[in-house]
Amino acid sequence: MEFHGPSTVDEAVSLLAADEDARCLAGGATLVAMMNADLVMPSALVSLRHIAALGGIAADAGGGLRIGAMTTHREVADAAGLDGAHALISETARAIGHPAIRNMGTIGGSIGHGDPQADYPAALVALDASVELRGPDGARAVPAQDFFVDYLETALQPGELITAVTLPPSPAGGFGAYEKFARVEGDYATVSVAAAVAMEAGRCRYVRVALGSCGPIPVRAEDAEARLAGTALADEDVAAAAAVLRDACDPVDDVRGSGEYRMMLVEPLLGRALRAAAAKGGAR
Amino acid sequence: MNDYVSPVGQGIPRLETRDKITGRAVYADDMSRPDMLVGVIVPSPHAHARITGYDVSAALALDGVAAVVTGVDIGDHKIGPFVKDETALAVGKVRYMGEPVAAVAAVDLETARQAARLIDISYEELPAVFDTDAATAADAPALHEGFADYIKVFEADSDRNAMAIIEIVEGDVDAAWERCAAIVEGSYETQAQCHTYMEPCSALAEIDSNGKITIWSSNQSVFHVQSFVADSLGLPMSKLRCVTPQVGGAFGGKMEQTVQPAAAALARATGRPVKVTLSREQDFEMIRSRHPGKVWMKTGAAADGTLLAREVRIVLDAGAYADDSPGVAGIAALFCRGPYRIENVSIESRPVYTNKLRSGAFRGFGGPQVAIAGETQIDEIADRLGMDPIDLRLKNVVLPGEEWMIGVALNKAGLSECLERVRAACGWDAKRKAVSNGSGRKRGIGLACIPHISGVLTSGAIVRILEDGTAVLNTGAVDNGQGSDTVLVQICAAALGLEVDQVSVATPDTDGSPYNWGTTASRVTYMAGRAVVAAAEDAVAQLKQRAAVMMECAEEDLELRDGGRIGIKGVPEAEIGFRDISGFSHWVAGGPVIGTNSLAYDGPDFDPKRGYLKGFPFGKIGAWIFAAQAVEVEVDEATGRIVPLKVWSAHDIGKAINPTAVEGQIQGGIVQGLGYALCEEMVWDSGRLANPSLMDYKIPGIMDVPPEIDTMLVEDPDEHGPFGAKGVGEPPIVGIAPAISNAVAHATGTRLRRLPMTPERVLRALRG
Ligand SMILES: Cc1cc2nc3c(=O)[nH]c(=O)nc-3n(C[C@H](O)[C@H](O)[C@H](O)COP(=O)(O)OP(=O)(O)OC[C@H]3O[C@@H](n4cnc5c(N)ncnc54)[C@H](O)[C@@H]3O)c2cc1C
Repeated sequence: MEFHGPSTVDEAVSLLAADEDARCLAGGATLVAMMNADLVMPSALVSLRHIAALGGIAADAGGGLRIGAMTTHREVADAAGLDGAHALISETARAIGHPAIRNMGTIGGSIGHGDPQADYPAALVALDASVELRGPDGARAVPAQDFFVDYLETALQPGELITAVTLPPSPAGGFGAYEKFARVEGDYATVSVAAAVAMEAGRCRYVRVALGSCGPIPVRAEDAEARLAGTALADEDVAAAAAVLRDACDPVDDVRGSGEYRMMLVEPLLGRALRAAAAKGGAR
Repeated sequence: MNDYVSPVGQGIPRLETRDKITGRAVYADDMSRPDMLVGVIVPSPHAHARITGYDVSAALALDGVAAVVTGVDIGDHKIGPFVKDETALAVGKVRYMGEPVAAVAAVDLETARQAARLIDISYEELPAVFDTDAATAADAPALHEGFADYIKVFEADSDRNAMAIIEIVEGDVDAAWERCAAIVEGSYETQAQCHTYMEPCSALAEIDSNGKITIWSSNQSVFHVQSFVADSLGLPMSKLRCVTPQVGGAFGGKMEQTVQPAAAALARATGRPVKVTLSREQDFEMIRSRHPGKVWMKTGAAADGTLLAREVRIVLDAGAYADDSPGVAGIAALFCRGPYRIENVSIESRPVYTNKLRSGAFRGFGGPQVAIAGETQIDEIADRLGMDPIDLRLKNVVLPGEEWMIGVALNKAGLSECLERVRAACGWDAKRKAVSNGSGRKRGIGLACIPHISGVLTSGAIVRILEDGTAVLNTGAVDNGQGSDTVLVQICAAALGLEVDQVSVATPDTDGSPYNWGTTASRVTYMAGRAVVAAAEDAVAQLKQRAAVMMECAEEDLELRDGGRIGIKGVPEAEIGFRDISGFSHWVAGGPVIGTNSLAYDGPDFDPKRGYLKGFPFGKIGAWIFAAQAVEVEVDEATGRIVPLKVWSAHDIGKAINPTAVEGQIQGGIVQGLGYALCEEMVWDSGRLANPSLMDYKIPGIMDVPPEIDTMLVEDPDEHGPFGAKGVGEPPIVGIAPAISNAVAHATGTRLRRLPMTPERVLRALRG
């Protein structure tokens, strides 16, 4: 097996394009574990560690946010001064695994792996994020919602890599909350809910919701959001929205819980996430 | 010289702590020998199959491969602590997925793993059974066709795949039911729990030119290693030297064979040192687990709360090999009455073979499987009779001077005090009155009592006084990380009147250590501790004998004085130190002082007149210990999650030799008990273990443990224990699940009878 440590994105792209069995290596938390278990046997590893352009969190002039692919979960968790709903991404990063994993894992590696049990995917969908990609044919941006294609499958094409995740400006008066339910602290979510909400005079003016671990990709249902919009997020509103979301879910049975149990969690966790997000606005 | 403080009762840091914290401690896998090879074990891919052929040629042809061994090479030498039914590498048949079938040694791990993949073994699959119902069905395949001819160390009936039927009967339950005002009955199910020791199993074996094999390995008894390796390879014990470096936890999982026979077989085949260390996944799939249990129980009490009768049927899933199953089933039978005076009992316990990983010893040893039934039924009876659960227990608990079932006398029994201490500390009376209403998060508090033993089988000790008057202690007892080296040194130092740092402790080594049955059954402090006190007393007697010559007086006139001196009674200035005495013994007369002791547990016998006992696989057993544990919980009615808020745990331990170590044992047991109660469960998908990793099998982490655990030590010295001490290792794990089930019933009115009490099971139960 070969090991490369390029210092530019172009170099990395050409290494990946030249060998279809090459894999890029970010934090290695997942990839190396899979190699140890004989689940993947790459012919070459292209380490992204020395590519400065892939690091850093930066706000743009319009109020958007750009998070480089090699930014660790810890850096996102500790990022200071994120506005309104953008703080949801930090809250989500704090919910990933435990400190050792947050120090190793990166946002590019997390979404590049395409695991629907991971925490970032739902949060990125709820935040209307885009994924910036670069490949042999140049750069492109894919909405988070379209980036996740199936279980462990993403929109990444051969030779492509993730360079960054971008968030649009936070909706006016918007706040987010991430509700993760796991067997023990640090486990993957049994079910998670990411919500971004803006309240006005006690009514919901803006709402985005996405569920994690409820299907092969993050689950979003515009009808559920429409059902919540304009309401005070009362119990019956949450219940009705949860019913719509459940129809969009296709959860598996595994050691973290049965699919049926995951469905049972949707309504209470949705209520908690929405109310926590709304309460942050109220506290202002 | 009155500034000497006896080391007994001092919470000193453990002797090896600094090495462990700084990473210097040497575990088996840290070791290396010149020219060493790495061994890898090939697991069975089938749950039940006949082996029809081996082709190891491709593996042997691989560059860097030194040897491959299979069951054919090591031969049909059967091992097993209760039933000799297992070979170190499968012979003829495999009986669970993950069973070792071959082993390969190569120059490095990568080559060995690659070679393992090239070993081609052909199988003919057989029908398999994955639970005890299927295994006991009329048409179930026999897992062990030759069972009747196996060597067994106990006598019991057996039935199909039920390898033993253990019965205890006293009084007349059928007649007693009629006198009961409250009767509860229920079925309970418990899961396989993984020992999840931090250090996966590891062994390094090296052979010398006389064919003697030295094995360094992670284990709970260096003498068991010697015995099962000798049996499995057909070697005399004198050809095996077994040594134990630091051990990173065991909890019962390393009591019997792990990878030592394979390492020794590879060393013998190659003539070179070979180290075998399992990956976490292989350790999960290959070694052993706690027995899944199915328990049916019925308990009855008179209107005044007097418990009158209990009937119990226990079925334990033993997996493919007997291992410690008959022992675990026997202890489950012995403990399932609970620590109460119940005059009419009828108990039957059956360990049953299935095509899964073998079950074996695990902290609690049959206690946890029956405690969830027994201790929740006590609460249900209290509920029916409108009594407080602690009042009901206090009315029925065994008292000092009474007998256990089958007539084993209890000299001390501090359970009433444990109950009173917990009741006061947790604010029981007020908390039980508070009723949770509304929905959302509900609080409740529950309690459980635990009986256990700490006296069984044999131990020894050697105390040698070195030339300068300091000492070295050798017991052969393996410290699994629970702190026994420290505690035994404290006992030895106190018995000699020395400081802790004047006593060295020897590494367990079958060439030099006295026999110790094992670090198991909560017995090392009690059993090895007794041997240490007696060996130290023997050394003191020899010191007095030498001192009498030196001081020209009678031995009877001499006394041991603190600080390592022998003096003449009543004459404070007439004394000599150990250094002078030991110099005299080494160089002038008397010879080096070597104090020794060996003992077998010598408690009271069973009383055959008291009841009917059949198939029980232990002889004398005793030095009873008791505990009471309470847990306060919050139940999230929307998700079903149980959050433990605080635990109170009171233990009848005789005397705390090292209070800090005792509290560490209690806290560790409680955390493992929380895992058993709430989240730990090995899950099989037919024969395949579905969660053989720490990613999928979850133990509680620091954030899952309540911020406060209140431990209480009830110290009423045992007349035979070293400085009055008894054991503590196992009880702390046992009461947590029933206490939580009782707390959930208090909070929500819902009764949980299946472990672990996962949020999913709780939510389903809450919704009826
Ligand atoms: C014990 C443990 C617990 C965990 N718990 C959680 C949890 O609770 N929640 C959670 O969300 N996650 C969890 N994770 C996953 C972890 O957070 C990381 O997200 C994950 O390890 C991937 O990040 P990485 O940087 O380590 O990527 P790597 O392991 O290096 O790579 C993962 C995959 O992504 C590809 N890749 C990496 N970077 C890029 C890129 N820039 N462009 C394209 N492809 C790329 C790699 O080729 C590989 O296929 C856990 C992991 C472990 C080991």
